[in-house]
Amino acid sequence: MRFIFLTILTALLVVFLNPIAPYWAVMLGIGVVSALIYPNGIGGWMGGGLGMGLTWLGQTIYLGIITSSSLPNKMGELMGLGSGMSLIGVTAVLGFILGGFSGWTGVLFRNMLQKQTKDIYRG
Amino acid sequence: MKYSSFVLVLVLTAGLAFLVSRPFGQIPPLAPLLDPYHGFWQNSFSEDQLAEDELSMNNLTGPVEVVYDENLIPHIFAQNDLDLYRAQGYITAKHRLWQMEFQTMAAAGRVSEIVGPIAIDLDRMTRRKGLAFGAELGFKFLQEKDPETLSLVEAYADGVNQYIAQLTDARLPVEYKILNYRPEPWSAYKSLLLLKYMSDMLVGDRDLEYSNLRKILGEAGLNRLYPDFPKENDPVIEKERVWDFQPVTVNKPDSIAYPDDALTMGVLPQPTEGTGSNNWAVSGSKAKNGNPILANDPHLSLNLPSLWYSMQLSTPEHSVKGATLPGALGVISGFNEHIAWGVTNATRDTRDWYKITFKDDARNSYKYGSEWKATDFRIEEIKIKGEKAFIDTVVYTHYGPVVYDRTFKTDRQDVNFALRWVVHEGSNEQRTFLMMNKAKNHGDYQAALDHYSAPAQNFVFASKSGDVAMRIQGKFPLKWAQQGKFLMDGADPMMEWQGYIPNEHNASTLNPPRGFVSSANQHPVDPSYPYYVFDHTFEHYRNRRLNRRLTELNQITVEDMKGLQFDNYNLQAAEALPVMINLLGTHQVESAEAEKYLNELKSWDYFADPSKKGQTLYSIWFAETAESIWRDLMKNEVPLVRPTNYQTIELMTGSPNDPIFDIKGTDRIETAASHVQIGFDSLLVAMKKWEVEEGDYSWANYKKTTIQHLVPTFKSFSATNIYTGGGSGILNATGSRHGASWRMVVELGETMQAFGIYPGGQSGNPGSKFYDNFISVWANGEYLNFNLRSKEQTEGVLFKTVFKKD
Repeated sequence: MRFIFLTILTALLVVFLNPIAPYWAVMLGIGVVSALIYPNGIGGWMGGGLGMGLTWLGQTIYLGIITSSSLPNKMGELMGLGSGMSLIGVTAVLGFILGGFSGWTGVLFRNMLQKQTKDIYRG
Repeated sequence: MKYSSFVLVLVLTAGLAFLVSRPFGQIPPLAPLLDPYHGFWQNSFSEDQLAEDELSMNNLTGPVEVVYDENLIPHIFAQNDLDLYRAQGYITAKHRLWQMEFQTMAAAGRVSEIVGPIAIDLDRMTRRKGLAFGAELGFKFLQEKDPETLSLVEAYADGVNQYIAQLTDARLPVEYKILNYRPEPWSAYKSLLLLKYMSDMLVGDRDLEYSNLRKILGEAGLNRLYPDFPKENDPVIEKERVWDFQPVTVNKPDSIAYPDDALTMGVLPQPTEGTGSNNWAVSGSKAKNGNPILANDPHLSLNLPSLWYSMQLSTPEHSVKGATLPGALGVISGFNEHIAWGVTNATRDTRDWYKITFKDDARNSYKYGSEWKATDFRIEEIKIKGEKAFIDTVVYTHYGPVVYDRTFKTDRQDVNFALRWVVHEGSNEQRTFLMMNKAKNHGDYQAALDHYSAPAQNFVFASKSGDVAMRIQGKFPLKWAQQGKFLMDGADPMMEWQGYIPNEHNASTLNPPRGFVSSANQHPVDPSYPYYVFDHTFEHYRNRRLNRRLTELNQITVEDMKGLQFDNYNLQAAEALPVMINLLGTHQVESAEAEKYLNELKSWDYFADPSKKGQTLYSIWFAETAESIWRDLMKNEVPLVRPTNYQTIELMTGSPNDPIFDIKGTDRIETAASHVQIGFDSLLVAMKKWEVEEGDYSWANYKKTTIQHLVPTFKSFSATNIYTGGGSGILNATGSRHGASWRMVVELGETMQAFGIYPGGQSGNPGSKFYDNFISVWANGEYLNFNLRSKEQTEGVLFKTVFKKD
């Protein structure tokens, strides 16, 4: 549940923050959101990753549709990736990795702040 | 454990974020490039999708309206000149910022800053040629003598800088993102530098090669193979022109001792073959509608973003439209409500070399007559991307910079050559264009040209009042016959230029009886012109074809002029091919391939249309034949230049048994026929290879016209294999990398009817639909409507932007 919540919030964060801030500021934001929502480690990784990766993927596809530009293909060729499609993939994967690490870092940060409770019998 | 895992992952995350923000070798930083909100994806937008209705600009005195037509051609309406050029700077930067900056970086010898050590030699050469030095002098000239022009150039720079100041990452041109740098502020100096860069592109010299040829062939041999005037001279200014002035006297020294060293320096890059232009104007008496018609098509390197950017610039006092050079003010080739003008390169040897004898290794002084003259040192710091800067010391003499010395491009420690070039003198070309933009008649045109120094141009002119004119304008050194054809001794004061040809003695004509004026980079004048004129690269074919057609045509229409700009008739082939076929005789008569190719050649109509095979076969055959003829000469291991194709064909036709054709070291005596046959054998070999590898050898497929991005390795930003005809020496001079970079035809009637096109698009952004949308129109020989627009006109508007003062 928290993982889904983090995914959605990350996506919203990317949509609203990324246009005015560079990717590293978005990464910081994802870390904070992830620390607040506090899923488990895998949830943080997947939530941040999917949130950012999918939004980047969606944005590249959206730009492709509204501009019909040949630039992604030209860039794909220039970078030796063949086509714009592979570049969409690379962008999404990069977004996923950056978001994933940020989400995971947020969770571990929150972990660190949690009080160590000892000697409690949880039955 | 919690702490350490957090720190570990934090370090990993931060490391990753850092890593993707850094370049790896030539690979740009990945995250800023791929970020869909700031990276290259944002360059997918075309300009109409980013249209702004209103923008604010500092330092304006009133509102400025910019109306874009459907081809993204901006029409700027301002209240005064300062506002106009400020807006021109802003708008040009908006569409062409990367290009204008890149070109001035190249002109300043700063390419290494962008691409790394690979460009050091190029940068050293640029700086040693003194382009930046010339621009500095030009800037000083404006400060001292023409503050009015300077204030306009500064307003333009302010416009560019206001655009740069508000530029977001998303809108940054994609080339900056890939090459990982950012624009720096523009300045008036950079605009001047750009005009020097044009000189560099268009001016060459063959002093070194001619010096070597003189040694090898002797004076008589040289004059025979490289005559000053061709047999059939069809000059820019009509032969009948009477020179009604008293020429300035030039004193030729009694004896001339040329430096006689074995000369093997690396040669300066020369303007590439195919660089040239056509322009002409027909008077109303030859035109169907009774109005003068003017045409201009400069042939330059075909590049993307295009060298040209179209604009209309209007104030309540004037309205001018045509092709601008991004980075320079005003329109360079265009028309206004009263006149039209155009430019072609006025080829002439205005670059001379002087051998410098230094007193000692310190190079503080050099021999000049009986004295020692002091030198200046200019320290050039060439910054290099990713490396320590390279320091180059260039010695300056009163002639100019010592380009070749012990540290640069010579294999001899004692060979020093200084370059004398008008580019190194203060000048004011910008003023010419600003005045021309507002000219109303022939007198205004003449006054505008008086400010123009370099690169020398043939300025064609036509006015609504019925005048047609041509003036060859540049600052031309006064030379005695043969001066500057060879390297000269800088220690001998008699070798100095003796001043300049006065502007009013520059060759010109107004309303000649033949009813037209024209130029195509050929010899400027008839031998009756009282000053010495020399160049190696004068055109011999386009000019004759053009003048023949203009003489034949009557009742001329705009369509005829468009047709002439797209004329593919290969006059050289028409003159040479029958001779070659005759000289070939029965050689290879038994070969089926030979018969096939020969039949194609015989049935060819000499038009270099894209589908023609004869043009391909001829171009290979002639090139191989000429190569064979001059192979012996070119075997000498010093820089040399071959006789022109015109002279080669002249020899083949007129004296096919001349000893010049004999190949040394063979038992028999070769004639022109032997070379034609050798050339034909080479053609068969080349065609066999081509047919196996490529198949189709129609002309367009063979010449593969390419419009290349300014960074040649950005191949996907270039347009390749364009289906279009023409070639070097043909009026439609579109070769594989050079050609008509702008075509304009203007009929000067009651209202101006104008048409224009260039191979590119208004946008400099490879992601925009306006980046290359003109190319197919251009390749088909079609044009866009270029009529002047009024502010109120509503049809065909893409969008409008109003600049309000801030």
